[in-house]
Amino acid sequence: MVLDNLGSSLRGTLDNLRGKSRISEEDIEDIVKEIQRSLLQADVDVALVQELSDNIETRALEEEPPAGTTPRDWVLRIVYEELVDMVGESTDLPLEEQTIMLAGLYGSGKTTTAAKMAWWFSTKGLRPAIIQTDTDRPGAYDQSKEMADRAEVDFYGDPDEDDPVKIARDGLEATEEADVRIVDTAGRDGLNEELIEQIERIEAEVKPDRNLLVLDAAMGQSAKSQAADFQEAIGIDGVVITKLDGTAKGGGALAAVDETDSTIAFLGSGETVKDIERFEPSGFISRLLGMGDLKQLTERV
Amino acid sequence: KAKIMATGKTVIEEEDLQNHLDDLELALLSSDVEMSVANEILSGVEENLTGETRRRLSSTGNLVRDALREALFDVISVGQFDFDERVQTADKPVVIIFTGVNGVGKTTTIAKLSQYFEDRGLSTVLANGDTYRAGANEQLEKHAQNLGKKIITHEQGSDPTAVVYDAVEYAKANDVDVVLGDTAGRLHTSDDLMAQLAKIDRNIDPDMTLFVDEAVAGQDAVNRAREFDDAAEIDGAILTKADADPQGGAAISVAHVTGKPILFLGTGQGYDDLESFDPEAIVDSLFDE
Ligand SMILES: Nc1nc2c(ncn2[C@@H]2O[C@H](COP(=O)(O)OP(=O)(O)OP(=O)(O)O)[C@@H](O)[C@H]2O)c(=O)[nH]1
Ligand SMILES: Nc1nc2c(ncn2[C@@H]2O[C@H](COP(=O)(O)OP(=O)(O)OP(=O)(O)O)[C@@H](O)[C@H]2O)c(=O)[nH]1
Ligand SMILES: [Mg+2]
Ligand SMILES: [Mg+2]
Repeated sequence: MVLDNLGSSLRGTLDNLRGKSRISEEDIEDIVKEIQRSLLQADVDVALVQELSDNIETRALEEEPPAGTTPRDWVLRIVYEELVDMVGESTDLPLEEQTIMLAGLYGSGKTTTAAKMAWWFSTKGLRPAIIQTDTDRPGAYDQSKEMADRAEVDFYGDPDEDDPVKIARDGLEATEEADVRIVDTAGRDGLNEELIEQIERIEAEVKPDRNLLVLDAAMGQSAKSQAADFQEAIGIDGVVITKLDGTAKGGGALAAVDETDSTIAFLGSGETVKDIERFEPSGFISRLLGMGDLKQLTERV
Repeated sequence: KAKIMATGKTVIEEEDLQNHLDDLELALLSSDVEMSVANEILSGVEENLTGETRRRLSSTGNLVRDALREALFDVISVGQFDFDERVQTADKPVVIIFTGVNGVGKTTTIAKLSQYFEDRGLSTVLANGDTYRAGANEQLEKHAQNLGKKIITHEQGSDPTAVVYDAVEYAKANDVDVVLGDTAGRLHTSDDLMAQLAKIDRNIDPDMTLFVDEAVAGQDAVNRAREFDDAAEIDGAILTKADADPQGGAAISVAHVTGKPILFLGTGQGYDDLESFDPEAIVDSLFDE
């Protein structure tokens, strides 16, 4: 199953630079074009791709490479730096008492992520609890409870209550013993005023220390406007990208990070509670471009 | 050339055409049409227009847009068939299996279609072939309860083929018209789970397999549509969450790589939020910006 020869044309273009001691304007244009293609195929926002490639082009033309650096390595380093600049480092998550609320589109992976994050915090020696406030999706309570069991963490939910704000309030009280409280919410989108208003009320009740936006890696160009809507409603402090075990590259996260002025916190790559890791820029960027370990390459420079 | 001028026509300049095509490529990408699909469609447009004469009044831009509109319509209207008629006239029970990646809306769509069939005088039984995900049985059971439908479930971890098989037997014994078979969400990169889909397909031999994807999907829509069609050949697709993303370029990608029709749009979480797919409307939405 060869799904993924993405990035190979970028690699090819870069390899054309091998052995050259100077890069021409034309070389740079070719590379920038290939980078654009890779990023667009990774679902990075069209306007962001334009901005990035302009920056890369300007720097590659104007800045002098350090002595002894080949043009190929130099261009790679610029590309890497510009992308790191855009995605940022992993969201800062102090290992202390806190309340985290998860928000995002229908089916993006919030409930699964809540259990994964709870499991992750428990491995750090903290006591987590999940509070399930989804009163809309049939079976949400059962799903969440079962996932909490699998993660071996505390859980609060109320299948007979239909006011999510009340569940949140009761849940905070019931989980007082926990160090980290993760509040799961129903799926919604920015165009649905009723649901946006609902999460604003939950947020006002919970007063979370952080709101994380849970984003499907396969999300397309609407990631930007959706992120902007969630940002406006509740404020977003970090992004979680899910379903990275597929072929989707998760480029929508760049627009989300840009719109919310935040960073990426976690990556999800499977359906079990252990399929979670903290975000780390270099691996993610390599994946976006469909190239091997870019960081290693650039560290040679 | 003089003659063309005299009749008010002029030949499209290649460079002029190329500029318009480049703009349109970005427009298609912004609507989530997959890149290789966009390029294929645009090169078809280019081929048709190169050297074409145009009336001097209409600009190249409009001409290219019109040509693209037509090309997109051709892609998106591929293979459309009368879904209601096919179900009504088929031998009963009609078995329909739903496939797709995690969280796109398979289970919700099954609930909606159960309502849809009831509105058309057809009875249904729901089969929960998702024996994997936490809360999957409870979710479909709740839907069945809300809708007053019979549901067949097995324990978590059991063989999904057996669940669907039981539902088909139930339908035969009780004169139920349609079996709606759910499957667990899976990513196309999971070879084991994709093989399991192929097994359901082989053993049940459903009347229809419907691939469910979401309107908010981006470039990856092409990969998964292709892989799911390979594992268990699909007869059509359903695009959910159109209420969250009215543009839905993913429809173009899916129709193009599978050559199968989009049959319905999901437009909300309610049971009535299901619309028959209208190719014209999607093309309109792609152009309306
Ligand atoms: N393969 C894979 N599947 C995932 C991942 N994260 C979540 N899922 C699956 O995606 C589907 C949706 O996940 P949920 O956690 O229910 O998503 P949600 O955002 O809570 O959904 P709603 O509450 O309906 O909005 C389920 O089938 C999950 O098992 C992941 O990282 N990889
Ligand atoms: N707004 C909107 N939400 C939808 C639509 N279709 C499904 N959903 C929501 O999307 C989420 C996931 O739907 P499910 O039906 O559980 O998706 P699934 O494909 O069965 O998920 P898995 O079984 O976990 O793979 C739920 O919150 C649904 O309510 C739609 O057309 N519009
Ligand atoms: Mg959920
Ligand atoms: Mg399901």
